[in-house]
Amino acid sequence: MLDFLQYSFMQRALAGSLVVGLTCSIIGVFVVLRGMAFAGSGLAHAAFGGVALGFLLNLNPLLTAVLFCLGTAGLIQVAGKRAQLRLDASIGIFFAFTMALGVVFIGLMKRYDARIYGYLFGNVLGITEGNLVTMVALGAVVIGAIGLLYKELKFLSFDEEMAQASGLPTTALSALLLGLLALTVVLALKAVGIILLQALLVIPAATAYQLTNRYGMMFFLSGLCGVAACAVGLVVSYYLEVPSGAAIVIVATALFGLAMLFSPKRRKCRVCGPDSV
Amino acid sequence: MSRSAAVRFEGVTVAYPHSVALEDVSFELGQGEFLGIIGPNGSGKTTLLRVVLGLERPAAGKATVLDAVGSGLASVRRRIGYVPQRRSIDPRFPVSAFDAALMGVYGSVGLLRRPLAADRARVRAALDAVGLTDMAGHVAGHLSGGQQQRLLIARALAQEPEILLLDEPTSAVDVSTRQAIVELVHKLHAERGLTTLYVTHDINEVLPCLDKVMYLNRTVRAFGRCEEVLNRKTLEALYRGRVVLVEQEGRKYVVVGDSHA
Repeated sequence: MLDFLQYSFMQRALAGSLVVGLTCSIIGVFVVLRGMAFAGSGLAHAAFGGVALGFLLNLNPLLTAVLFCLGTAGLIQVAGKRAQLRLDASIGIFFAFTMALGVVFIGLMKRYDARIYGYLFGNVLGITEGNLVTMVALGAVVIGAIGLLYKELKFLSFDEEMAQASGLPTTALSALLLGLLALTVVLALKAVGIILLQALLVIPAATAYQLTNRYGMMFFLSGLCGVAACAVGLVVSYYLEVPSGAAIVIVATALFGLAMLFSPKRRKCRVCGPDSV
Repeated sequence: MSRSAAVRFEGVTVAYPHSVALEDVSFELGQGEFLGIIGPNGSGKTTLLRVVLGLERPAAGKATVLDAVGSGLASVRRRIGYVPQRRSIDPRFPVSAFDAALMGVYGSVGLLRRPLAADRARVRAALDAVGLTDMAGHVAGHLSGGQQQRLLIARALAQEPEILLLDEPTSAVDVSTRQAIVELVHKLHAERGLTTLYVTHDINEVLPCLDKVMYLNRTVRAFGRCEEVLNRKTLEALYRGRVVLVEQEGRKYVVVGDSHA
């Protein structure tokens, strides 16, 4: 069963998938609870512009994607405030703008490079050691920041107005959360690609939400679902010889379907018990 | 500012891009006093509370709260409990009533720190004070309207505030719950020596609790002790004659021709 692990590219693929699954599903709790699914999608498309710029300038595409995504996250926040727009409208503007820039960058390239399109659908088997180090570092930053700011992000997500009234720096926290989402998008690009990435940001957390009424438990279950979907999806893709990104998303969706069918919330449960903050 | 004043506004004006919310508002509220704020919709009542919290900056004038002024107001927020005017708590958010109340202490706990056992004890005491001990483990958004309102009061109390701001805390509950909440607020105000600012559309519900009353309509139209404001002459001037002052069993009731007393 585990004979595929004899190949080093499969070892890297598995390690990369687990990092992606864990990080996406942890920040995905905020994506689901705060209704930020469109932000994830918008930043994923911004990453495409960054990747294309990297190929155009012959730089590390993940590095340019990080800069592009963080810049876009900042612009979404600032433009939304200054133009007094809802977040989704602000995201919609920069979603299209950064995608357009990506198309222009590709048009400016002197020769066709098929590797760019690998970032659209992901290529988990092509993860290099360098990619893996970058992914682990970004994942540690994202999960570490969420752990440190656990209670602040909880209050921000539950009641932003009251969090501000209590003295929490809500504008900075919202910007930070968007920045962490941007980093997550970049770390997942290589593995699942721009188009399928959205699924990992939403489905594991939505699955966890079916199973618990406790905020802290939601992180644990979401992380578990994300890791399980990535590991099982990768193994399935290896044996069935189907694209791994798609297999991961299909497994995650199947887990969501099971959770929805057997959700204890449908049967009982108004009592959730206090979280251990 | 006199030594006992908790809140003092001097010519405070708050302007938005296309409107003026408060204009030249001046008043002073002593420590331990209970102020009822009335006025029509859009008269700036919520904005006034937000100025006290330091969430709105005056375009002109000066607001002094617990001896803090200007940007210093942000530093006294943790000494102010705030019960906002609101819709119901999102029933989909997976957080218990205890955790929702615990959020009241986050400001005083500080960034990157975890609440301690003493903070949790304060929250348990606050839930006990509002009669929600048995509901502590329930999902906050699954509580009834009255229980949610009590929960928001508990969250404000968990801060152990010196000033309590309540923005129409009974607007979404039935009559009996409304009475229970007012009695609870009055009891807590007296027991804890709070300075309380209570925004309401129905002055009658809090009339027995009040030390002072303010009628706000962008600017202060009337302010003073109850007997100074709630008399026939002043009320007829405010409501253009559409008001009756009824006294029954030693208690006054204000009856106005429209719905906003």
